[in-house]
Parts: sequence; C-alpha cells; structure tokens
Amino acid sequence: MLIRVPLSWLREYVDVTIPVDDLAHRLHMAGTEAKGIERKAWDNIWVGRVAELVKHPDAERLWLATVDYGEGRRKRVVTGATNLRAGAIVAFGDVGAQYIDGHTGERAVMKPKDMRGIKSEGMVMSEKELGVGEDHDGILLLDDKLPVGAALSEVYAETVLMLELQPNRPDCLGIVGIAREVAALLSGKLREPGGEPLGKDTPKALDVRIEDAVACPRFAAARLDNIKIGPSPDWMQKRLIAAGMRPISNVVDITNYVMLELGQPLHAYDLREVKGGTLVARQARAGEHLRTLDGVDRALPPGTLVIADEERGLGIAGIMGGEDSEIRPNTTTVALECASFDPRSIGPTSTKLGLRGSSGSAAARRFSWQLSPDLVPLALARAIQLLREHAGARYAGTVDRYPHPRPAVDVRIPFAKFARHLGMEVTRDEAIDALKRLGFAVTQAGDALVARPPAVRTDIAIPEDLVEEVARIVGYDRLPIHLPDGPLPLVEAHPLEEFRERMRDALVGLGLQETVSYSLIDPQWLGRLTADGSCIAPEPLRIQNPTTPAQSAARPTLRASVLDTARRNLRHRAGVGIFEIAPVYLPREHALPEERWTAAIVLAGHAHPDSWLGSARDTDLWDMKAVIHGVLTKLRTGDGGEVKPGAPGLHPGRSERRGSGERDVVSWGQLDPRVADLWELPAASFIAELDIAALLAGVAPPRVSPPPRYPAATRDLAIVLDEATPYAAADEAIRAAGKALVESVTLLDVYRGPQAGEGRKSFAVRLVLRSPDSTLTDAEVDRAVKRIEGRLLHQLGATIRA
Amino acid sequence: MAAGPDDLKALADRAVAEIAACADDAALEAARIRYLGRKDGEVTQATKQIATLPGKDKPAYGAAVNEAKARIEAALESRGDALHSASIDTSLRESIDLTLPPRPLRIGRLHPVSAAIRDVSRIFGSMGFETIEGPEIETDYYNFEALNIPPGHPAREKWDTLWVSNPLGDDPKMPLLGRTHTSPMQIRVMEQRKPPIRVVVPGRCYRYEATDAIRESVFFQYEGLAIDEKLTMADLKGVLYSFARQYFGSQHNVRFRPDYFPFTEPSAEIAFSCVICEGKDPHCHTCGGDGWIEAAGCGMVHPEVLRRVGYDPERYQGFAFGGGLERLAMVKTGAPDIRMLYQNDLRFLESF
Repeated sequence: MLIRVPLSWLREYVDVTIPVDDLAHRLHMAGTEAKGIERKAWDNIWVGRVAELVKHPDAERLWLATVDYGEGRRKRVVTGATNLRAGAIVAFGDVGAQYIDGHTGERAVMKPKDMRGIKSEGMVMSEKELGVGEDHDGILLLDDKLPVGAALSEVYAETVLMLELQPNRPDCLGIVGIAREVAALLSGKLREPGGEPLGKDTPKALDVRIEDAVACPRFAAARLDNIKIGPSPDWMQKRLIAAGMRPISNVVDITNYVMLELGQPLHAYDLREVKGGTLVARQARAGEHLRTLDGVDRALPPGTLVIADEERGLGIAGIMGGEDSEIRPNTTTVALECASFDPRSIGPTSTKLGLRGSSGSAAARRFSWQLSPDLVPLALARAIQLLREHAGARYAGTVDRYPHPRPAVDVRIPFAKFARHLGMEVTRDEAIDALKRLGFAVTQAGDALVARPPAVRTDIAIPEDLVEEVARIVGYDRLPIHLPDGPLPLVEAHPLEEFRERMRDALVGLGLQETVSYSLIDPQWLGRLTADGSCIAPEPLRIQNPTTPAQSAARPTLRASVLDTARRNLRHRAGVGIFEIAPVYLPREHALPEERWTAAIVLAGHAHPDSWLGSARDTDLWDMKAVIHGVLTKLRTGDGGEVKPGAPGLHPGRSERRGSGERDVVSWGQLDPRVADLWELPAASFIAELDIAALLAGVAPPRVSPPPRYPAATRDLAIVLDEATPYAAADEAIRAAGKALVESVTLLDVYRGPQAGEGRKSFAVRLVLRSPDSTLTDAEVDRAVKRIEGRLLHQLGATIRA
Repeated sequence: MAAGPDDLKALADRAVAEIAACADDAALEAARIRYLGRKDGEVTQATKQIATLPGKDKPAYGAAVNEAKARIEAALESRGDALHSASIDTSLRESIDLTLPPRPLRIGRLHPVSAAIRDVSRIFGSMGFETIEGPEIETDYYNFEALNIPPGHPAREKWDTLWVSNPLGDDPKMPLLGRTHTSPMQIRVMEQRKPPIRVVVPGRCYRYEATDAIRESVFFQYEGLAIDEKLTMADLKGVLYSFARQYFGSQHNVRFRPDYFPFTEPSAEIAFSCVICEGKDPHCHTCGGDGWIEAAGCGMVHPEVLRRVGYDPERYQGFAFGGGLERLAMVKTGAPDIRMLYQNDLRFLESF
C-alpha cells in the first residue's frame, strides 16, 4: 500500500538529521520501499496580498486585482474569482510560473495575456492550479500571517515521502510507525503523540457489545459531548491534504488525522442516531441492506460484520459507515468507535463489496492488515485530546470490550542463530542494539536474547523474525558473498523436457522463428477453427475473473494462437514460417488439468521472396511436409501412428492426421480455405500440430551401423498404378519385396498422360540396392528387381514400363 | 581379310590425333567411347578379333592391340589433364561480384523468453541446480496455503489471482487458479524429495493485473530452491551474484534489501547492477537512475513452510528465490516493453 508521509509531519515525532533523499534511501534499504519524493516546483510563485480590487471596466464578471508581492513589486491581474477581497493573502503566480490548468488538468506555464482589453500580468491561484487540492471554484486564500513576498515553496510547500508498505507492517500505516523506523535507523529518539490515558470512567447511555469476538476482538467507544462542528484547524487541513485526504469537518478530520498518525481508523457516530445507546458488532443478517456513506444501498453478503444499534445496521464494520448515523452540522454528541477487526473478515468482505484496493476506503485498506489491538486505547486517547482542543468536546467516558487480550510476545533467540542464518557474524551488542533501536524490550538470557516487540508490531513471532530485524538494521549490504559448499543432490533425468528442447532446436534449425503467445485466449477463437464452428479441442478451462475477454480461456489447442500470430505478421510481410511450443490445457475431472506439451507450426504466404536468383513462390504442402519429415527424422520419432480419417479444420483432401486411440499425434496439412478466410489468411496457409510426449514415446533408440563396405547397385523403374493407389503403398511394396537389399527408394517423377493410360499414373523411382555382406552381382540385382516388380503387380496391380 | 598390326598403328595414330584435338571433356569422353568403349569401341572390336586369327599371328597382333590401347589411354589421360588445368586457368581468371545478395534463406531463432529460460537453467545448473517444471494451473493449497498464506491472509493482496473454472465441474474443496508465482513448486519438490535439494523452476505464471510496459498478466518466472543443513543468506547472495556475473557479465553485482514474503524469513529483494548505464546515467530509463534494477525476491525458507512438508526446521534450512524471466531478457537485450515479447511481431523477434 502506498502511503504519503509529509516530511514536516514526520518531524513532529523524530528528528530527521539527514537530507530527505538520504532518508528515503535509508528507509528503502531497511525495508520500507521509497517510491519517490514529492516536492512542489513552485518557481515564480509568491505569497501576495491583494492591494486593490476593482471591477473590469468592460466585463461584467471579471475583476482587476493589483497584487503586492513584496519588495515593492506589484502586478495587475485579471481574474474571474468571486472570493477575492482587498487585503486577501494569495498565491501569486508571476510570468513563468508553472501551474495546472483548472479545466484541462494539464501542466501549463503562466504567460501575460490580454483579457477584454486589459493585460493580465500574472495569476492568483486556486488549489487545483497549485496542485494541492481539487478546488477550482475560488482562489486559495492563505493564512494572513504568511510573509508577503516569500517564495510560496518556502512557507507553504510540503515535501512528501511516497512509501510502499508491505502487508506485514501495519504499524507503518501510521506516520508514527515510520518515525519509529527512522528513529531506529538514525539512532534518534521517538516522540510519540500524547493524549491522556482514558481512565476508568464509563459513559452514560453508551455501551458496546461484541457478538462475534473472532471478527471483532476489541471494541471501544468514547462519548464526547458539547461538540461544535466546524472546520478543522488550518495546519491539520494542510497535513491531511499533503497526506492525500480531503478535509471535511473537525470531527471527521480528527478521526482521519489520528488514522494517518497512528494507523488506527476510528469512526464517529451521531449518538442521537444510535438507538438504545448500544453499538453492537455482529454478523449481517440474511438479506440485510445498508445505505453507506457514499449513498449506495448495499446488500450485505454473508460473513459481513456490521456495526449496529439495537434496531438496525449503522455501518459495515471497518469498511464504510452508514448514511443514517453520519456526523451532521448540528451534531453535538458523538460516539467515537475504535475497534479491532479480523483482516480475514474485512479483506474478503471488501472484495465482495467491490471496495478493495484503491477503490476501498482508507479504513478498509488498513483493517485488511493485522492492526494491533493495542492501538485502540492509544488512538482513542489521541482523538479525544484533539476533539477537546479543536471541537470543543467534553469527554464523557469510554467503554472498552476486549474479551481475550493478546498476550505479549516474547521471542527467544540464541545469539548463534544470527550467524547460522545470515552467514555473517553479528555481535551480541549489535543484535541487542538494533532491536532496542526498533523499540523492542530486550533481555539477555545466557547465550540467547529475549525480545518483546513494541505493542504495535504484529509481525514478530519467531526467532527468524528477529534475524531479519537485526539484519536490516545492521544492513543487508553487509551480507558476505559465499557459495554453497554443502552436499549436492542427485539429479534426475528429464526425457520429455530434453526432447522438447531438441524439437525446438530442430525447428529453429529448419529456419522457423519461434513465437511465444499468451496461454489465455479469447474462447470465441475456438469457434473459428472449423468451417462449421465445431470444436477441434475439448471445452476449455475458463478464467472466472478475466482481465479481458481476450484472455478468458486456458487454450486447449495452440492452433488459434499461431494462426493469429501468422495473420498479424502477414499484414506486413509476404510469408511466415513460425512455430510455438507450449502446453495445452485439457480439463480432467477432480484433478488438475493435463498440461500437454504441443508444437504448432505455420507456414503461410510466400515460401521465399522475389530475388535476383529467382522469383517468389507460394508455400506448398511439400514445404510443410519437409518440415515435419525433417523434425521427425532428426528426432528419430516414428511418423505418429495410424492414419486417422479427416483432420478437422484442415482441407479434407490435403491433410493428414495420425495417432493412436483417442490421441492425435501428428496433424498437418493445408488450412481449410474457409477457415483461412475467417483468419484473413492466404489460401497457401499450412499448419501442423505435434503431440510432443506421444512422439517421444515412439522414439527408436539409434541403431548405429558402420558405413557400408560394398558398392551399391542402382536401378530405375517406372511403375504405373491406379490413380487411387497412394505412393506410400508402392514404397512399402518395394521395401517389403526387396527386403534388406533396398537401401533407398527415391521418387524422381510423377507422370499422368497417354503413356500411363486413363485413370492411371506413373511413378519413376530410383532404387539403390546394397548388401551388407558382399558386392551384389548383376544376377542378384535382377532377381531382387523381379521380386519387386512381381509384388507391385500382384499387390497393387501395377505395370512396369520399360 | 583380318587387319594387321599396321592397321592398329594407323588406328592409334588417328585416335591420338583426334584426342589431342578434343576441345572439352564431352568430346574427350566421346572419343574414349569410340575407341575404348566396352561394346563397340574400335580397339575393343580389334581385341575381339584376336580369337579369329591363326595361332601364329596372335602374339604380334595382340602386342599391337595392347600398344594401341596403351597409346590411346595415355593420350586420353594427357588430354584430360590438359583440359582440366585449362579449365582451372579459365576459372581463375573469372571474378564474381560477391556483394550480390545471397539466395533467400529463412533463419530461425528461439524466442527471447526461451533463450532466457535456457540461460537460467544452464547457469544455475552449473551451480548444481536441477531444472524442473510444474503445473501452471494450480490449487489454492500449493499456490498459497502451503506457502504460509492462508485464506484471508493480508499478503494475498500481493498476488492478485486469476481463478480457474473447470468445465467438468468445480471442486469447492480444491479451487483452481493460474499459479501467481513459481513458488508452489517449492512445496511440490520438498514433498517429493529429501534434502539436499537444489532446483530451479522456470515457468509461466498468471496475475489479475493490468498490463503495462513492465507487467503482464501472463508472464514467466524462474524459481530457485536450495535446502540442506547449513545454507545461509550469504550463500543465497553468492548464488545470485554468480548468476548475475554469468548472465550479464563479470563486472555485474547484486544488491539485497529487506522485503516481505510470507514464505521466507528473512526476505530480500534482489537488484542487479544496471546493465544499460552501469550506474552512470542519472536519467537511465532502465534503472531509474539509481544504478540498480529490482529483479527478484528471495529469502530463507520460512520454518512454517519447512514444517508443513515434514522437514524439521531445527535441522534443515535453505533459501528460495524467484524473479521475472522477461525482466532478465529485457534488461540484457534492451527490449523496451514486455508486451512486445508476446505480440510476436517477427520484425521485433528477428532483432534478437
């Protein structure tokens, strides 16, 4: 959580003896992340006094103000502001001053300009123009006591530390908590704000009752009479603004002020509206509604803790007050609530009500962390003190219910443990000193120390916590660099991952660019992978709370992702050759989904561009088959298994699907042209998908053989076959008939025409025959070729052309 | 009448002259076939006639055939050599403009994230860390609870979560989510193995988060875990220092500052010295001018986490670290915007 710490406010509790940049750095390096330092760039802006104020002669709504800004300097300003009066002390922006345009919110620089015939030589500035608030209705009227002619940045500006807190440090939600850190780092003294102890007086006609002591471990309320509602003092308003809150009225401002100071939120009720005079912390009833301060009527979800009176809900505990009981201008008696709530109740309730994070109230964000119940009496006493001083309040007692007080935490740590965990020596004195500076009560017990954290620290429970506390004060920079020298574990084999990486390398080696796209996709994409919108993959896992519909399903196929990548790239290039290797997510009942590693390849558009060595050519099926054949050969996998009918989403006559059982292992081919149209892809779009684990299962171990010792014989054959007979059948027949003698079969030509005959085709193939044991004689070769020809004839009805 | 030795001499003379006049390899080959061809070569024919001759003539004729054959072979070889060296001479006089562009060829590359994963695996591997992987869709238990982040824990706000719904039915006892970090693998590994443990886990993670130039809702992390009896924060710093030197270069360093994670204590944030400005540019976009790039979180494994997987925290201790992979790749290569990594514009990917 980001908090704003005005430096002057911090200084009230601790002496800051180093420059603010150094302070920010020291805090940062001790664990309080410094996000930045806000300083006002108020060059050319001065404290001015309106010396003279007259109407513009030619404009009904404009005034001419002559502003005196010291050392005899005077300028005339044309202004439309209605709250100016002669003698007012204002922020005067001279020519060159930077300001925020009240209408556009943009940064601008003051230039002289002509307004209805009169030149305006500067500006009297609003809160908004100065960047200190939102008000742009009138000019910011400054304290009459500010010295005219002083640079505004010197008397009014506030330097603000922007600190990002971690949820284990609710104590730092208050500026006093930050001051405690600063005091520890600078070895300074912490000045905690006062407030008389509450005493034992209980108020009349005010009580509190806890009905759920888990959700509300402590509940206190003070009664304050004689309240006079009005504005809070100027200094308080300035601090609230600097810390990022809007002043409202003295009572509300004081509760906010104490919250910013100590971290503990408080809530003020008009006691007239508390029916029965009892504040009750209870669970919301079924169907209960409440109109909150922001005017919204909210249905309270189960598990919501409400603060109620005997009749109705008054507010959502720790999150937002109700409209009914809010402080009004005529409020005179206040019930001031100060309580502890369980973050495990507040956090989820805030989420359910949509009041989490930056949209939530400042109180809710604080109560989502584990605030110390010990803050309750401190914050209440402090608020009472301020209400007496600034709202005329008369204190009429407090009721404080705390059924199970948190025991003090004493943590024991052997001194040796510091070195055992940190790997560096920390002396006993250093450890004790660091903890004492952080406000711990420390006692030494033999070879150990016992530390009791300040009551507001809820994050300290175990010895390791003390190790960190000491280390961060000593400084993490002091940690030495050392390499582990313990025993090394045995390492397991990872065949799938290794195979997958070899596939990645193989595809890269084939000239394809690897892509990595979002694993969450638009589920609508899945309906665009086939011509009829049917699915090629199982129903996907859905994201319940997607950041965008475009990332609302865990992809059950890579196809949509790679088609999208191809489509976007083909807008600016003629061809793509890409692949992606990633898991697809396949739902399983009562189990984590299967994450199945898959490769998807797309070749589309031009196979290569125009060049002086040849003109461009469209990608074709054989380019894709070359890639698949290349990668499967390189990885020594099988071909993927049995051919299965039809590959959904691909061209029915130009695709192949192989696999075993339910599982598709290799699918490839031309994208169905109707699908290509849906994705704005060219007709020459080819896709392949490989199931990596299934291919790994088919990998044959290498059969290493020495290079052949005897010469080969080569024979060419022209085989005429029916059009319907696939080439693979001929290839298989040749190998089966030629047995081990067939070393290779190369297809040289496919011919269709008169010499093949109607409905027939001719394959010209070159056979290389070789025996591992001897040089083949012509007769042996002839016999083998005869066998092959015979098999082709009988099995496939082939004729052999001379 | 059969030819005599004189005819063979004339044949050889004619052949030698013809061979000497051959202008190229093709003509030379034609001449070889004409005279020495296995079927119809003139010398071959002459050889076949030996059988038809009377016995007394055979030796002289045979000798003449051999001589003719030898002369023709010598002529063929010598003309062959001459033609070969002439063609080399011709070739050497030739000069080609090599600034002409090459034949178009696709060059494949790994995606920078894959390359970074390999670098991480290799470098930590050199320090004895085994690369393992784990599920991206996880349970609340492994992602949070076992890491000392029970439901409602304030620290959950550090990891805004994408919750996952199973079309085959959600199991209320086992809510699914996109793992918000690679840290669940700390638990899975410790459940399956006994110390000593040294693993590094690269993988994809998910957050409910608005994307910007440095944040993605779908992104990659790498996780490290080392457990034995004596590992310390100094060892952790040493491992990460060694990583920084190998990944970014030997002049690089690491900085630790305190941070908070519920599953480590003490915890630290790791920053690497700025690769871009090396701490010299107060307006550096990469490090913001302070010379350090915050890159990862780490710490000593929390005793509660050890206890949960059945390790005795009095005996075993160790460290864990986790950081954004894209951040590493971006810092190293100067890539300006994490989203570019996943838009897959090939013009960008080809620049790596």
